[in-house]
Amino acid sequence: MLRYARIWLASIRYSLVRAMMFRGDFLMWALVEFFWMSVNVLLVGIIYSHTDSIAGWSQYEMLLLVGTTLLVQRLLMAFFWSNLFEMGRNVRSGHFDFFLAQPGSPLFMVSTRKFDLDGFVNVPVALAIVVYAARQLGLEPSVGQLAAYALFILCGLALHYATLLAIISMVFWLQSAKGIEGGYFGLTEFSRLPREALRGVANVVFVYLLPVIIVSNVPARVLIHGFEPVYAAWMVGATLLWLFIAIRIFHAGLRRYASASS
Amino acid sequence: MSALAKYRQVFLTGIQTNLVYRWNFALRAAFSLLHLVYVFILWGAAYQGQTEIGGFPLSATLTYFTLLLVLQFFLSAANDDYEISEEIRNGLINQFLTKPINYLGYRLSLYFSARFVMGGLSLLPVLLALPLLWPHLTLPGEEHLPLYLVAIPALILSALIQFTIAYCFGLLTFWFLEIQSFVILSLAIEAVLGGQIFPLDLMPGWLYELSRWLPYYYQMYFPAALLTGRITDLGIALQGLAIQAGWTVLLLGIAQLLWRRGLRRHTAVGG
Repeated sequence: MLRYARIWLASIRYSLVRAMMFRGDFLMWALVEFFWMSVNVLLVGIIYSHTDSIAGWSQYEMLLLVGTTLLVQRLLMAFFWSNLFEMGRNVRSGHFDFFLAQPGSPLFMVSTRKFDLDGFVNVPVALAIVVYAARQLGLEPSVGQLAAYALFILCGLALHYATLLAIISMVFWLQSAKGIEGGYFGLTEFSRLPREALRGVANVVFVYLLPVIIVSNVPARVLIHGFEPVYAAWMVGATLLWLFIAIRIFHAGLRRYASASS
Repeated sequence: MSALAKYRQVFLTGIQTNLVYRWNFALRAAFSLLHLVYVFILWGAAYQGQTEIGGFPLSATLTYFTLLLVLQFFLSAANDDYEISEEIRNGLINQFLTKPINYLGYRLSLYFSARFVMGGLSLLPVLLALPLLWPHLTLPGEEHLPLYLVAIPALILSALIQFTIAYCFGLLTFWFLEIQSFVILSLAIEAVLGGQIFPLDLMPGWLYELSRWLPYYYQMYFPAALLTGRITDLGIALQGLAIQAGWTVLLLGIAQLLWRRGLRRHTAVGG
């Protein structure tokens, strides 16, 4: 376990040095991410300039929800996105062999090789959105609520990781990974919706079958409504279940992998 | 071989190349339906308790987003900038410097072939979902016919603007090694000012007016607004068409300038 932590730290250190070598590139990407985050906040502003509530959520409750989603996504971008995105390309090109040849779990090696500083520098921006929204709502969360929020954010990160891993692992069966990451973005869009907005089939699919709504709604609820044991159990249980499913899909794919080139 | 026949051949080859990735395109189109579901839920919830937002009923807003989805597949220069960038970096453009073929014409033919395949394939999931979508959609009545006619040239100019912007970004490779961040930043601006996140007429008046003078407005929003009845004044439509034509000419001029300047920096190596 400690050995893996050391490998991960070494990868992060290497990525930081690399980011500083290409400073212009790093600044540009940080700006790109910042701009995309602003787009989400702008959408909330535009809709609420025409209405007072979305499924019973006020403007700042919605902003808190969107901020929470952005926070989880920035963490995913920082730690896992590039790694899993490149896995899709590497499986096709055969470069994936490189990870299999390393002395460690292939999943760990694939998932932690790179750390994206440009995603990470926007984590404080997402946090600032959450804090701003909480202040506008007059919330004064207790230490317990904040601890639960932090735990749920970590669960959210694990859920996003599992979703992305399951989707990208489809490359083991498909001819090309081109465009399959769109599935991840398609699904995670739903995490910017309040649970109450979903009805009927959509409610069954996106709330109960897929973890895309709870990933943001549960952390946001703990700040707005306080700790609710049912939601906490749901969040932790779903995280464990989806990690299990995604890892199983990855390993099933790995068994199909037959390298490329000669 | 006549000039047109050359580009026709490029177009046909492009169709074959794109058909190789038909399942990826179909998959991407299916994923985009997920986006439509998200849009329907979000705007459905925003309209709760009111019949109109920005002067439009829910059905008009949903029609706008559904049409936008289809237009994206028919118009968006999805991968052209990266492909051009690759061709410059790998030295593949060298062959165009010695052959009697215009690179812009070549790329434009490929753009049309990709849009043809992608647009066609995207219609499949949309058509399959149409029975579910149809009750939520509404189109303007017969009195809107003149605006539909304006929409035809607007769609062609939109395609040219989409392509030319991607072409210009691709040509930036002559100066920068990596163009991906420029492209994604531009996509983000386009997403907002092109009306993909929300209909532009919901923005504050001054911002909407400003957006009308920018090329992003004419990449997607303008034809979509004409076709879904968000623009109803013929005078404004014709003025928009004139601005759009102006941007098309200007962007094509910039593309030519970048190509000529870029070639001066370019070094062809190899035997």
